[in-house]
Amino acid sequence: MTDFLKLVANENMKIYSRSRTWVMLAILVLCNAGMPLLFYIAGGDMDRWTVFSWTESFTFMLTTIFTVVIAAEMIAGEFTWGTIKLLLIRPWSRGKILLSKYLAVLLFSIVGTVITALTAFIFSSMLFESPASGMEGFMGGTAPRGALLNLLTDYVELFVIALIAFMISTVFRSGSLAIGLSLFILFVKNLFGLIFNPERFEWAKYVLFLHTDLSVYIHSPTGPGGVSLWFSVTVLAVYCLIFAAITWTVFAKRDVAA
Amino acid sequence: MIEPLVSLRGVSKVISSRTLVEDLTLDVPAGQVFGFLGPNGAGKTTTIRMMVGLMSITKGDILIGGHSIKTSYEQASSLVGAIVENPEMYKFMSGYKNLIHYARMMPGITPQRIEEVVGLVGLSDRIQDKVKTYSLGMRQRLGVAQALLHRPKLLILDEPTNGLDPQGIRELRDYLRKLSREEGTTVFVSSHLLSEMELMCDTVGIIQQGRLVDVRQLRSPEGERAFEETAFAVDDTAAASKVLASYPLRIQEGLILVGGDRERIAEINTTLVQNGVRVYGIRPVTTSLEDQFLQMTGSERHD
Repeated sequence: MTDFLKLVANENMKIYSRSRTWVMLAILVLCNAGMPLLFYIAGGDMDRWTVFSWTESFTFMLTTIFTVVIAAEMIAGEFTWGTIKLLLIRPWSRGKILLSKYLAVLLFSIVGTVITALTAFIFSSMLFESPASGMEGFMGGTAPRGALLNLLTDYVELFVIALIAFMISTVFRSGSLAIGLSLFILFVKNLFGLIFNPERFEWAKYVLFLHTDLSVYIHSPTGPGGVSLWFSVTVLAVYCLIFAAITWTVFAKRDVAA
Repeated sequence: MIEPLVSLRGVSKVISSRTLVEDLTLDVPAGQVFGFLGPNGAGKTTTIRMMVGLMSITKGDILIGGHSIKTSYEQASSLVGAIVENPEMYKFMSGYKNLIHYARMMPGITPQRIEEVVGLVGLSDRIQDKVKTYSLGMRQRLGVAQALLHRPKLLILDEPTNGLDPQGIRELRDYLRKLSREEGTTVFVSSHLLSEMELMCDTVGIIQQGRLVDVRQLRSPEGERAFEETAFAVDDTAAASKVLASYPLRIQEGLILVGGDRERIAEINTTLVQNGVRVYGIRPVTTSLEDQFLQMTGSERHD
């Protein structure tokens, strides 16, 4: 087990040895500090949880994009650099190497999320008052609960998109394709919901893109096409398992040539 | 009979109905420097990639130290250190971090061992610098260092002299021979540079179009160079060849040329004398490996 953790430590070392990783983390800090500051300068009459939620809903997009960038390089980078050969001849099965890489991506996504949440919270708290007690937050429920639920649903979306990027990176060994395709999905998925409306097409409720944003359930008990939260979660889980299976199969069976 | 450290058994590799390697059977005894020779595209790299688990084996199996690459890959590959083609490193990290990276993947490598290996390949001064500042020769040496970290029983090198200057080639050669002599490491090295192989290897296997055409010993176990052929100067070549019908021989410029070791030569001499053929001289003929190689692979000579 400790041996396996060394593999994860290796992947972390490779991620954090690159200056661009630190640039991305610095940008996250800047944006999450800058947004509450802008609200403050604009002089809105808001409480800290509203500011936090607004900031987070914008900046989390960046966290997702940066995690996608890391995930996309994870396997494709090793192929591009040619280092995959020296990595795979070690006494470790390919499955374990793949898992260590995926865990490193998840760790980065958690680091990014924590930085986003902490910075946004610290600056919102410094610049704005807490809401009057008993007042409803704008996300429904009590204000902190709404803000945290929002963060959680955003993280679920990040998780799915990052897994897609990781899969494309493994299957096509191209970092740019992985970044491009997964960000494309991130930005146009709402369009899918409009075109293939589950009210009109029965099968559309099994489409992944309708379920990546679970925040609809914060406001209402039913989601797209009248499905429940558990239906959405199950659809997401099934897709994630399929993506993981594809990634593992391709990585474990591939001949590494040239 | 020493147990072979590496044993290829009927190994074939087929990619989309093209056969890259066909029914390759080969044993490499422990402690040898084994050269794997062949023209470009003969299947050298494919074979090596199968040996280190980068490619799947279509048919047959490869055993390393008795462990099958197919069924117990983790045990088999823990005995192996390798450089497959150019040693590509993480350029954004220092040489030392690169070595830490590989050291973490294998059990029981101490920081002292890393220092030792770094000293061995002569990179002590530059090891803390980023790999992107290294010359090709230095990268190659870092490649050797990562392959040796865990004191592998088998060192596999694919075209190790590519891109090295003469001094680098010389260093590598001396180093490999030292490894095999002092630590008993078996070295499996592929190349198309014949003169290099001749200086480096104890035994060479020659592969052509995916098939193993020949395996021959270049040195006796005592380290002496094995003579490839011996020439007998006799009075009557026709009579001699009749007497020696049971030996493989050829007649060239009035000399009888036979292969074989010292005992075989003595035996032939006795046979000749006993049958009344007058022997005027016996001398070893060394053809260079290059000549033999070209003879065997049937390529055109470019004089």
